[in-house]
Amino acid sequence: QSFKLLGFLDVKNVPCARDSVLYGSLGSLVMGLGYFLATSRVRRSCDVAVGSYICTMLGYWFYCRYNLAQQRIRQRMLKEGMKNRILYEGTYLDPEKKQTGSERSNS
Amino acid sequence: MANHSQLNFQDASSPIMEELMGFHDHALMVALAICSLVLYLLTTTLTGKLSSNTVDAQVIELVWTILPAMVLVMLALPSLRILYMMDEINEPDLTLKAIGHQWYWSYEYTDLKDLTFDSYMIPTTDLPMGHFRLLEVDHRVVVPVNSTIRVIVTADDVLHSWAVPTLGVKTDAVPGRLNQTSFLTPRPGVFYGQCSEICGANHSFMPIVVESTPLPNFEGWSTSMSS
Repeated sequence: QSFKLLGFLDVKNVPCARDSVLYGSLGSLVMGLGYFLATSRVRRSCDVAVGSYICTMLGYWFYCRYNLAQQRIRQRMLKEGMKNRILYEGTYLDPEKKQTGSERSNS
Repeated sequence: MANHSQLNFQDASSPIMEELMGFHDHALMVALAICSLVLYLLTTTLTGKLSSNTVDAQVIELVWTILPAMVLVMLALPSLRILYMMDEINEPDLTLKAIGHQWYWSYEYTDLKDLTFDSYMIPTTDLPMGHFRLLEVDHRVVVPVNSTIRVIVTADDVLHSWAVPTLGVKTDAVPGRLNQTSFLTPRPGVFYGQCSEICGANHSFMPIVVESTPLPNFEGWSTSMSS
């Protein structure tokens, strides 16, 4: 199932999309309302609300996607590390064996 | 393969396709931001007064120059990153040639004792129950899993295009020209594609099926095909 904003952005299935839109909406509400309470200017408050919606949404999107990319890199390194550990266990390429060997020579 | 009435991408089966899908999501998010802004500006223009006493428009000129430039930078940088990633020299483990004909594909595994075969679509009348209509072929392209495969694509007669959406591959087959692409399948599976360049009456009936299997299975298959 998918829920597409403006007919094209699937916020259910795209990672970070839902959070970006929700944080954007919250930011827009806070900034717009805050500006209105401070200045009582309706039109300008709406402009501020829309501007902060876009900025907050895109800002959170970049932040979330950057973290997601880092997580995926860590997952790949972990997967590769687990595979290599199983593959090289007990052989001369085993990094744990090399580590204990160097600890013994240091002591 | 795509489900019925599917509009979005198929699930990614290669690292490049994962990157492409990520970029697509990013581009759509930027598009959402732009569409929201345009919708708001339209609404304010339609609901506001028609007259304006603006004489000096320097600020707005600055805004509508810098903002689009920023949008282009936000789109261009990830796009170029993926473009160069797709063209990286990556020492393929296997090279295979895909040659387009009217209306079938032929494949040559010249790394492996000159293994060549044709790949015709299985007609609907001969299709076993439960198999996919207009997608199954008599001889699949079998490749080993977790290996970089280089595909050299060309054509024998007219333009064709070798495309497998889930692998993020689409390469034109041009007569007299060799085009190169590569892919890597981290998981075993069967991946379907179709000819993507109009090539005559049966253009819709020359599909591509790539089967990714563990190396021992691939070796067994190549031995059985060679004999």
